[in-house]
Amino acid sequence: MFSGQAGTVASITLRATMGRKRAFLFALPAVVLVLVTALLKIAHPAAPNWPSAILGAFGFAVVLPLTALIIGTSVLGAEIDDGSVVHLLATPVRRSTVILSKFAVGTVLTMIFVAVPELIAAVIATGGLTRLAEGLFVGALAGSVIYNAVFVMISVLTTRAIAVGLLYLLVWESLLGNFVSGARILSVEQYSLGIANSIASDSNLNAHLGVVTAVVMGAIVTVGALALAVRRLAAYSLKGDAV
Amino acid sequence: MSTIELRNVSRWYGNVVAINDITMTVGPGVTGLLGPNGAGKSTLLHLMSGFLEPSRGELTVGGAPSWRNPDIYRQLGLVPERPSVYSFLTGQEFVRATARLHKLPDPDRAADRAIGIVEMADAQHRKISTYSKGMRQRIKVAAALVHDPELLLLDEPFNGMDPRQRLHMMDLLETLGDEGRTILFSSHILEEVERLSGTIQVIVAGRLAASGDFRAIRRLMTSRPHVFLLHTSDDRRIGSALIGSPAVTGVEMTGRGLQVKASDYGAFSRQISGLTREQGVQLRALLPEDESLESVFAYLVDS
Amino acid sequence: MTAENGALAGAGGVIHDIGYRRYTGPRLGRPAIVRALVWYSLRSSVGIGRGAKAKIIPVIAFAVMCLPAVANAVAVAQGGHRVVPYDTYIFQLRVLIMIIFVAAQAPELVSRDLRSHVLPLYFCRPLRRLDYPLAKLTAFILACLALIEIPLLLLYLGTIAQAGGPSAIWDQTRALIPGLLIGLLWAVLLASIGLALASLSGRRAYATGSIAIYFFLTWILAGLLDSVSGGRGPVTGGLGPATAGARLSGLVSPFTTLDGVRQWLGGRSRGPIPPPGGYGPLYGVMFLLLLAAALGLLVARYRKAAIS
Repeated sequence: MFSGQAGTVASITLRATMGRKRAFLFALPAVVLVLVTALLKIAHPAAPNWPSAILGAFGFAVVLPLTALIIGTSVLGAEIDDGSVVHLLATPVRRSTVILSKFAVGTVLTMIFVAVPELIAAVIATGGLTRLAEGLFVGALAGSVIYNAVFVMISVLTTRAIAVGLLYLLVWESLLGNFVSGARILSVEQYSLGIANSIASDSNLNAHLGVVTAVVMGAIVTVGALALAVRRLAAYSLKGDAV
Repeated sequence: MSTIELRNVSRWYGNVVAINDITMTVGPGVTGLLGPNGAGKSTLLHLMSGFLEPSRGELTVGGAPSWRNPDIYRQLGLVPERPSVYSFLTGQEFVRATARLHKLPDPDRAADRAIGIVEMADAQHRKISTYSKGMRQRIKVAAALVHDPELLLLDEPFNGMDPRQRLHMMDLLETLGDEGRTILFSSHILEEVERLSGTIQVIVAGRLAASGDFRAIRRLMTSRPHVFLLHTSDDRRIGSALIGSPAVTGVEMTGRGLQVKASDYGAFSRQISGLTREQGVQLRALLPEDESLESVFAYLVDS
Repeated sequence: MTAENGALAGAGGVIHDIGYRRYTGPRLGRPAIVRALVWYSLRSSVGIGRGAKAKIIPVIAFAVMCLPAVANAVAVAQGGHRVVPYDTYIFQLRVLIMIIFVAAQAPELVSRDLRSHVLPLYFCRPLRRLDYPLAKLTAFILACLALIEIPLLLLYLGTIAQAGGPSAIWDQTRALIPGLLIGLLWAVLLASIGLALASLSGRRAYATGSIAIYFFLTWILAGLLDSVSGGRGPVTGGLGPATAGARLSGLVSPFTTLDGVRQWLGGRSRGPIPPPGGYGPLYGVMFLLLLAAALGLLVARYRKAAIS
């Protein structure tokens, strides 16, 4: 158990998040990714650029956001939902410490459950530590950071965090992002792909943003989301029970 | 200086007014917050503990506003009503974590002390998910006491406690109050409040109905007459018999039935059935017109 | 309080006769209970009786699903042809709407009861253990069926309104029937999977999340496997060479499995995956496997004695 305020928050969060059966759910998409990649490697599919398609379109469009969604909404969402966050907040700990500690835990967990499997899958698919593999790894790391900031913020803003997060992912990023180019500037998936592409330089990743745009926008979104989350947590209200 | 001051504090949700223009001061000692269900006791406690923003008015705790002010928790401990605690932690881990969050110089020792005060030392190594409701309450109290606060707010603390635990908790609160701390606890059960607190604040439908010494308020309540409505086969006959009884202060024939004002509720209810039998009158219904706590307290608001 | 004499008096205590009566009338029994459960579950799966917010998703899903039918009907009225096929409808739209509808509504049916621990109340009535999930499943299948078939019927009616003669009407009807049957398979499979996944969690958020994640993940994966095996791009493909990989890629997702079954049973319209050819029976088997797994999960979940 770590000491200090941030450490205490972090260790409680870690135990809360990993303690339930949900931890199984975190690993699932990543396991699917690695398995599929391994099977495809054996099956020698026709398309020569299949690694970028699978690791980019599946890894970055599906595995990364969905895993980050589950993790990011559970580092804070469950406590807010059942009210046990009151015990945390009825202490002089700074609200920013609470948010940042939880964000850190979520980000690290997402990195472990997505970025590392992505790297493993990429190494399997491309047969070594290629530029594609490095790029995807770094992109996944960045994506973990940005997604967690967004989802932690959503958890503070609404009790229906998973539904809202899913709407964002399915409707905004998938649907609109594929058809409306203006939406891409506000898509975390595009930030991650842009960063990955800057190292991998693989046009099959379908990265539409340059690295500068991706990094700048990603930073803005991260900082903005966390700041908003802190503000809202400082105004956390207990609804009076009818009793 | 550990007082809670409210001045014209109101809180509403859309059209529903939960707290209606309350002005009060809570000082050292044990104060009971009494009121029927839905009166706004929890809302008031949430306002005081900084977990709800007043829609209007000023609310300060120890001189500083409680809203958006985490520093207040250095002197304030809160025991919320909802039983949700981190159930995957053991009791000891939970109290120790709270101690660390308070940045206490020796968190482990403070935690052990607090756990000892609530007599949870035997169960402290078990997970909170295995605790009974009363044990959870006690561990929450330990967490609220770990930083030795001057102010303690408890929302329905005796909920789910068996008589022995309740007595123990009452003794604990009494001791803390005698030490000069400000203790405020809420309840809707008269007897709990009666035993424990010197001062009570009565809140009904979001408004402050009475404050002050409990016994004085009790006397005020009983000095008011109780009003009943009778449906009988012969109102006039029973009315003239009733006015002869010393427990009855007034009788009125209304269109809805016979309205009787009784100053001594106990004596009246003992006499009425005998009286109707004597007079050969059939009593069809006896409806209290002001039985509910609310209307009883409404007298206090009007007076 | 009515002051009557006590009905039973003993030393120091009295039990008053306040006129309590047992119900001696007819009791409807198990079939009526099941019917009531189906009816009320059906209502709540489309949001009736739950307030305005609960109706948003069902209404929007239904409206959006009907759009192509209405648009085509209007086009036909102005002299055009029916371009929307009965057996596939607009495939991507169906997938999207069904994911949203099932993920949002299955938890309403099942997770709420789990969260508020009311199952013991159900089972202390003459209701067998399996009646409950079967009733819920029937209701949800009916809801999904309405969502899928009504647009088809709208399309049909819009087309035959402009039909020139009974033989044209007969042609349309012959095309419609297989579409309705495929729609039935869709409703049965998706409702079963949705309820099975939802019954795993009492928290609606997690139930919605797991359903959406399962459907979405498998759908994207199927499309990718198809494109990677030589097909023409994810989820719009089915145009590329029908390699073995492309043919098999559809087994991964329930949606493409359903389409594989459709093509195996003779559906001619173009779908998201290439025609399975010799692998057709595999799709049939996969369909049955998925259905059996979902039903088995539901049965196992509600048979557990510790459900409370």
